[in-house]
Amino acid sequence: MENTPVGTSPLKTAAGKPAGFWTKLFRQRSLVYMSIPFLIWLFVFKYVPLWGWTIAFQDFKPARGLFDQQWAGLKHFEFLFQDERFLRVLRNTLAMSFINLVLGFVTAIGLALLLNEVRHIVYKRVVQTVSYLPHFISWVVAASLVQSTLSPDGTINQLLLWAGIIDKGNEILFLGIGEYFWGLFGAASVWKDVGWNTIVYLAAMTMIDPAQYEAAEIDGASRLQRIWYITLPGIKPVIIVLLIMQIGYLLEAGFEPQYLLGNGMNVDYSEVIDIFVLKYGIAQGNFSLSVAAGMFKTVVSFVLLFAANHLAKRMGEARLF
Amino acid sequence: MNKRWLMLTLAGMMIATACSNGNDGNGNPPAAGVDTPDNGEKQVEKASFTIFNAAGAAKDVNTNETTIGKILEEQTGVNFRLEHLVGDINTKIGTMIASNEYPDVLIPDAAIDKILDAGAFIPLNDLIEEHGPNIQRVYGPYFNQMTAEDGNIYFLPFSNLVNEFVPDPNINQGAFWVQRRVLKEAGYPEIRKLDDYFDLLRDFRAKHSGEDLTGFVALTHDWRFFATSNPPMHLEGYPNDGNVIVDMDTHEAKVYAATDSTKRWLKALNDLNAEGMFDKASFVDNYDQYLAKLTSGKVLGFFDYGWQIGNATNALRDAAIADPSQDDYRYFPLPVTFDGQKDQYLDPPGFVKNRGIGITVSAQNPERIIQYFDNLLTDENQALVMWGIEGETYERNEEGRMYRTEEQINKIDEAFNESFGFKYYSWNWPRYGGGSTFADGNSLGPGEQPEVFQMSLTEGDKKILEEYGVQTYAEMFAAPDDRPWFPAWGIPKEQGSPQQLWETQREELTKKYFPRLVLSTPAEFEAIWTEYTTEFGKLDTEAYEQWTTEEVKKLIEQNG
Repeated sequence: MENTPVGTSPLKTAAGKPAGFWTKLFRQRSLVYMSIPFLIWLFVFKYVPLWGWTIAFQDFKPARGLFDQQWAGLKHFEFLFQDERFLRVLRNTLAMSFINLVLGFVTAIGLALLLNEVRHIVYKRVVQTVSYLPHFISWVVAASLVQSTLSPDGTINQLLLWAGIIDKGNEILFLGIGEYFWGLFGAASVWKDVGWNTIVYLAAMTMIDPAQYEAAEIDGASRLQRIWYITLPGIKPVIIVLLIMQIGYLLEAGFEPQYLLGNGMNVDYSEVIDIFVLKYGIAQGNFSLSVAAGMFKTVVSFVLLFAANHLAKRMGEARLF
Repeated sequence: MNKRWLMLTLAGMMIATACSNGNDGNGNPPAAGVDTPDNGEKQVEKASFTIFNAAGAAKDVNTNETTIGKILEEQTGVNFRLEHLVGDINTKIGTMIASNEYPDVLIPDAAIDKILDAGAFIPLNDLIEEHGPNIQRVYGPYFNQMTAEDGNIYFLPFSNLVNEFVPDPNINQGAFWVQRRVLKEAGYPEIRKLDDYFDLLRDFRAKHSGEDLTGFVALTHDWRFFATSNPPMHLEGYPNDGNVIVDMDTHEAKVYAATDSTKRWLKALNDLNAEGMFDKASFVDNYDQYLAKLTSGKVLGFFDYGWQIGNATNALRDAAIADPSQDDYRYFPLPVTFDGQKDQYLDPPGFVKNRGIGITVSAQNPERIIQYFDNLLTDENQALVMWGIEGETYERNEEGRMYRTEEQINKIDEAFNESFGFKYYSWNWPRYGGGSTFADGNSLGPGEQPEVFQMSLTEGDKKILEEYGVQTYAEMFAAPDDRPWFPAWGIPKEQGSPQQLWETQREELTKKYFPRLVLSTPAEFEAIWTEYTTEFGKLDTEAYEQWTTEEVKKLIEQNG
């Protein structure tokens, strides 16, 4: 017993009988001690603030003390769900999130597959690095790039002019047409994040046993068949776990790109929940309304996450928990 | 055994690190720490306070690092650590309110309603009574306007006139601006009507069709949207009262956002757009892109307020000083109205009641702060913060007139403003309001002193002013009429009040429809206008007008 592994104590349980919960806990007490700080952290920063949700049920005023607040019941929630604007904002959030989800997955997996097939290592590295550089640009800068590219005298309009699709003087004001916004947002997000998102898939691909490819090659599988029957199934667990996590964030369509690219003309399509909270909650001093909207967001995300996880479990796939 | 202790120690250390953040904040000495000066002769104890300034953007410094601040510290023993706003004002102020922790002194700018609502300012009445003879002298005439409904004064505003009023020779307020080369080529015509103004731009652009010029741009970004929604009011011959035009006889406040004057203005822009004269990107550009366009030399005209385009006009001026031929690309302000009626672009002396500086509930020694404020309000110290030190930054001639030599004018650049402290002291403190004069007749601000203004003119400036037969830019415009309520936008609105809600809705609606109205084809204009007015009709505009009218009448009574 000189080399007792950490966490096991010399205390013996009756042979053959599985150790009870408490015995096991006691045996692993040093691990428990180490996790205590993190539990405290979690409690203080993740659970205590939930107390603030009470604000959603009050006519909250900062100057008043805790017990002087006036309770308002579900007033703010009622207002929220009857507000035409909120429903529009919800639609935009879901639409942009969905576009982002689909486009994000398809393009990232596509690019990862292509990169994986590249034989020339230097070329591969260069492409990879270039493709994920935009990820490190802040949205503030990225938004100005997008804005100037799309402006009437920007690159896109110049190209269209040159190709003879539009005439001079009829340049398209891309950001001024609400219907275009979702598409533009999707394209901009892909440009910014596609390279970055490939990293995890590329990592997953390196885990696939090369022997499988060799065997397939001997059996006469073409390159496409190898991708379809070996690479894709090999990274499936990663795809599913990421998908579940993404679904949990479905109501987080982002804030900065919409805030920075939005203007009076595309407001019907560009406003998302976070901007709504900022504009009508915080900027107007209506804290209760913003908390109500935030609460709604959390609850929906929670439900979505569990639903997706449950579905994955039912289908016998990898899952988050 | 050893292993267990190791684990416990490790866990203990983790707890210690996890919690240490919280302890640090409380360990600091209080912000208003008082220590005795090492110099025994002075009676005053030194004290240091904090200020948060939400109105200005500048480096964070301690006042005693500037020349002015040092002198004031010698007089009072007090210095301030200045912190300026970075980012969004409402978020910053909202955080302060939520945590109930404030700097000692706060300049909340546009978020002042929130601060008052949160009860963050202490009443100043007793402090002023006891420690503020100068405050009483300077602000006395305005006390009834500064008093809140509960009978207390919570903050000191900045625009209280002292002695005679001198108008600003420069145009810091609204105007229709035009590139100087346009006027030059047209032979310096007199332009008073909107149609003439646009024709002037049209002609020039037609003659220079190869240069890819933009006829007219508008500023629409975020809260600066008023630069595009305000012109109808000015074109009707009224000064900037915000959302309303106040009738000079009946004193009725009328919202003009959906009236014929707004229609006429937008129709004019719509026509410009149809001819390709209007810059479509105006409605998507941000403020920086707008300023970049103004400095590009390609834009012939625009409407804006002088204080909002300073960065662009200063850059153009600097370029023209370096190379006089660049003077053509600078802009000249014109008093344009719909039909050439009397313009009211120049601000009448007004009193802005919803901006100011106040002492917060977090301040330890408010009487020291109020003494400092009071000390600022002597003639000598007002001269110090605005003009500087005699012999260094200004001179006096035999008649006692203050002026600056050319050398002094050139010396005072941005870097000097910071190190000397003009940058930090010329605004946002208890002060004589803009346009005030000293008892000896000199004007408070060097910019308003005719001697200084003349000295700062370039050759190009002198030429164009001479062509129009005026001494100052302000002379191009009509003198402001007396408006005791001015500015109506400065009437405080309660947080979450119907008036505030109306203003948000109004802004949202105009932001949505104005771009459509301007960018639509002329044939569609009428239909969209009808749609807009229908939507606008759903707002409770009548209540807003009624409320404003009542407030205006109250002000007339108070000031009359």
